Amino acid sequence: MKIRRTDPHTLLGAYALDALTGADRARFARHLAVCESCRREARGLQEATGRLAAAAVTQPPDRLREQVLATAARTRQLAPLTRETSAWPGRRWGVAIACGLLAVALAVGGIAINTQHQLSVEQAHARDIAAVLNAPDATMMTAQAADGGTATVVMSKLDRALVFTASSLPALPSSRRYQLWLMGPRGAHPEGMLPMPHQGMTAPVVVKGLTAGDKVGLTVEPAGGASHPTAPPVLLLSLTSASS
Amino acid sequence: MRDGQSWPSPGDRGAGQPPAHDPRPAGPAGDLGALLAQVARGDQPAFETVYDSVAGQVFGLARSVLRDPAQAEEVAQEVLLEVWRTASRFDASRGSAMAWVMMLAHRRAVDRVRSRQASAEREVRASSPDIDYDVVAETVEGRLDAERVRKCLGALTELQRESITLAYYGGYTYREVAGLLDVAVGTVKTRMRDGLIRLRDCLGVDW
Repeated sequence: MKIRRTDPHTLLGAYALDALTGADRARFARHLAVCESCRREARGLQEATGRLAAAAVTQPPDRLREQVLATAARTRQLAPLTRETSAWPGRRWGVAIACGLLAVALAVGGIAINTQHQLSVEQAHARDIAAVLNAPDATMMTAQAADGGTATVVMSKLDRALVFTASSLPALPSSRRYQLWLMGPRGAHPEGMLPMPHQGMTAPVVVKGLTAGDKVGLTVEPAGGASHPTAPPVLLLSLTSASS
Repeated sequence: MRDGQSWPSPGDRGAGQPPAHDPRPAGPAGDLGALLAQVARGDQPAFETVYDSVAGQVFGLARSVLRDPAQAEEVAQEVLLEVWRTASRFDASRGSAMAWVMMLAHRRAVDRVRSRQASAEREVRASSPDIDYDVVAETVEGRLDAERVRKCLGALTELQRESITLAYYGGYTYREVAGLLDVAVGTVKTRMRDGLIRLRDCLGVDW
């Protein structure tokens, strides 16, 4: 984790207002995980922002109530998270397998990250992962990378999010890293650097804000990351081809 | 709209219908956390009470950010079903139930507006958000809450207030807010933070 020049505390207000995007949000979340006083302040500011909606109250159409209640009645709820039963209930066997793969990757990532005192980041991250895996429309896809290695993606279109993990990708020199992208009609959007592999397996990365036509791509970039892909992808997986 | 084509969004897309007037009493906000615990156990009547307590705020906020009643209805439906589905994940030690619900609502609304914006080549949304201050809450309690928010927003400096309202009701990022207000990014960050601190203290928020 790089140390940034700017004081991350100044982002507390923007964070509480959801006015951070992508890299800023991720960087700030990492900081929150290691800053108890920031978490306390963030909580107070989020209570304040939550109250702002009182000034925007608008009665929704009646049909919304009927639809929400009827859909809820046939929608399965998430079980509470407990330490003992951290396995996610798979909706179908493919996802169950993905859960297994991701659980291994998470454990591996957890160990690696724990050494950097970032475990609580990983726990928040785990909740995001569980949300995708538990989505009613979770779909698993796998793809082979051009130079070897396999990527596994579990995607929820309802949540517009996916979980990406890879195994056995070719090792890179220390000056290079794998970078993840969403490549779609709007161009390539950086989605972060793939964590360093541990025993050949990379820890899962959550990508949010998917839109129609997006593909998930992986390129080899300078270790600090690039704002646009500088090389052809070693892996490109179309997300719309998946049947759900 | 690219969003709607191949990506499922639950719900009726009937656009443009005016909101029906069917005032239902908002549940006592203090009980929302206890209700969520019941919802987490599959209690559907408890969920109906939660719906009646929060739907107006969820829909109103989504409408403010998205400025499109049909999309706001979709987002409100997604958020309210997320409340049902993930009620077991609400952790009272990390904040109030209302703050949790409104965080889900705001995140989903801004994610939608930003993906929509990205897919439209990041068209610049040049105008200020229409915050419909004339919208009147249906209950006395709701009116008092709204009045208190307006009063506290009114007590901020103009830059604090504009930074906060553009981000919250308009869904803009702090960089976009800086552009809209033509001030430095660092200034916006600072004003958002110190404005929210004043707002928090003015609203008498427990935290």
